[in-house]
Amino acid sequence: MVRIGLLGIVALALLQGAALGQMHSQHASEAACEQPTLRCATKATPAFGLDGTLWLAWMAGGQVSVASSQDAGRSFSTPVQITTKRLNLDWGPDARPKIVVDRKGGIALAFSIFRDEAFNGQVLYTRSADGGKSFAELKPITANNESQRFEALALDQDGTVFAAWLDKRNRVLAKEAGQKYEGAGLFFASSNDGGTSYGKARLAREGTCECCRLGLAFAAPGRPAVIFRNIFEGGVRDHAVMTFTDIATPGEIRRVSNDDWQINACPHHGPSLTVAPSGTYHVAWYTNGKARKGLFYAHSRDEGRTFSEPMALGRPGRNPTRPFVLAGQASTIMVWKEFDGEKTSVQMTISRDDGETWLPPKTISSTTDTSDHPLLISNGRQTYLSWMTKADGYRLTVIEDQP
Amino acid sequence: MRRRSAGLLGLGILIVSAAGLGAQPALKPFERGTWQSVLRGHAGRPTLVHFWGVTCGPCKVELPQLGQFAKDHPGIDVVTISADLVPNLPAATQSMLDKAGLSSTENFIFNDGFVERLRFEIDPAWQGDIPRTMLISRDGTITTIEGSAEMGDLEKWTAQQLSTH
Repeated sequence: MVRIGLLGIVALALLQGAALGQMHSQHASEAACEQPTLRCATKATPAFGLDGTLWLAWMAGGQVSVASSQDAGRSFSTPVQITTKRLNLDWGPDARPKIVVDRKGGIALAFSIFRDEAFNGQVLYTRSADGGKSFAELKPITANNESQRFEALALDQDGTVFAAWLDKRNRVLAKEAGQKYEGAGLFFASSNDGGTSYGKARLAREGTCECCRLGLAFAAPGRPAVIFRNIFEGGVRDHAVMTFTDIATPGEIRRVSNDDWQINACPHHGPSLTVAPSGTYHVAWYTNGKARKGLFYAHSRDEGRTFSEPMALGRPGRNPTRPFVLAGQASTIMVWKEFDGEKTSVQMTISRDDGETWLPPKTISSTTDTSDHPLLISNGRQTYLSWMTKADGYRLTVIEDQP
Repeated sequence: MRRRSAGLLGLGILIVSAAGLGAQPALKPFERGTWQSVLRGHAGRPTLVHFWGVTCGPCKVELPQLGQFAKDHPGIDVVTISADLVPNLPAATQSMLDKAGLSSTENFIFNDGFVERLRFEIDPAWQGDIPRTMLISRDGTITTIEGSAEMGDLEKWTAQQLSTH
């Protein structure tokens, strides 16, 4: 009896051990490989320098690295690792390293890690002052130890780096006061030394959805605009835009659309915002609300006070996801992913009249395995699709059909 | 080498847990085709399938409620599927299930990097938001609850299911 029991335990343990071992090695298979190299990256974020250099920050193998390309992504410089050890990076679907490059070639970078076993996040930042040759030691963006995730960075005309993120510090106060705390706070800070140090973190808005990326752009010099999934009355997680009065003063929140998505959940699916040279806000988002379901686009010509009627994006049967919108001088471009059961494609549409009308979408890239969100980036002359894929590696694809 | 040490670690953990607790079900990998086998495996039985993840705030609140529900309703098959997209989580996942009283239910963890495909098999319209609960009745009818489920709604559905037995 004892022998059978022991044998049974060993056999069970062997079987389950093998299954777990297999899971340990395969679960991370969102990545093509486990090294910190670009080929193994799951998330890659681009930024163009003023001189046309493409900078890329990526996460791979628990590390964050940066490299540059002088030939539009065909080849990259030797990567510089900005992490000195393998970290428990925030690998959530909407997490990614953020990078901005200022006029002098200074590079500011930020990303999130999980800093404990309860998956409390922490936003870390660094800066390179020598053209990406080296990066300063990583520092937390705020001294507060409550959970922070979903940072966003944007560069003002005068070189100020503006950072916004979701921060749960006030849940402690709410708990002490016996109050219910929902979601997270939208916090912000700015740096007037190119991202070497950030000022005091301040609250812009309490009660926002805690698990979606933010969209961030400058509406005008000194006036950042943020789009986020807000929690409206009754637990409705619809989108809102906030335009700051100045770099330190949050503005009112303005609802993008009344989708009526009442849900107590983590959608893991944040919005995108770009501000055109005309001042038009272009936004794209996902909802599963009572009023509408799917991906939508709208624009505002009055700093978010009113938005156009939401326009549906993509084919409903193809699970359209991860919209990204970017406005340039002559056109506004949107991309998103669709999935047909086997293959993921990136769909693209262009507007040449500041968002009034859009050309029929077309497929500009596809892949047969998992992929990062499609991103758009412009060097002022051309717009590119930046897309990290597991099967095919990193792709920077010029968007054709531009006027 | 990584695979081997991970396997040995898993083996060690399981020897300890198997010796201490008897044959506790392990987390099963949820891969391509698993959804159909879950449906087949529970066909004809009222089944609650709960999608959740360790990094999801509302899930942390709901999971212990679900543990109590499973305890109170042995006539309902409860299946949990960790659909979080953060890798290397079997230990944290198991720990949260244990604390929620869900050690002995059938528990899966997403184990395919191509999550779009996994989700598409379950529900082509699902974009990955969690928590999410699918109530599968005896005749195979699926009712999906997006976000945290109201325990009252689960009780109501359960009463309907058990009364038609």
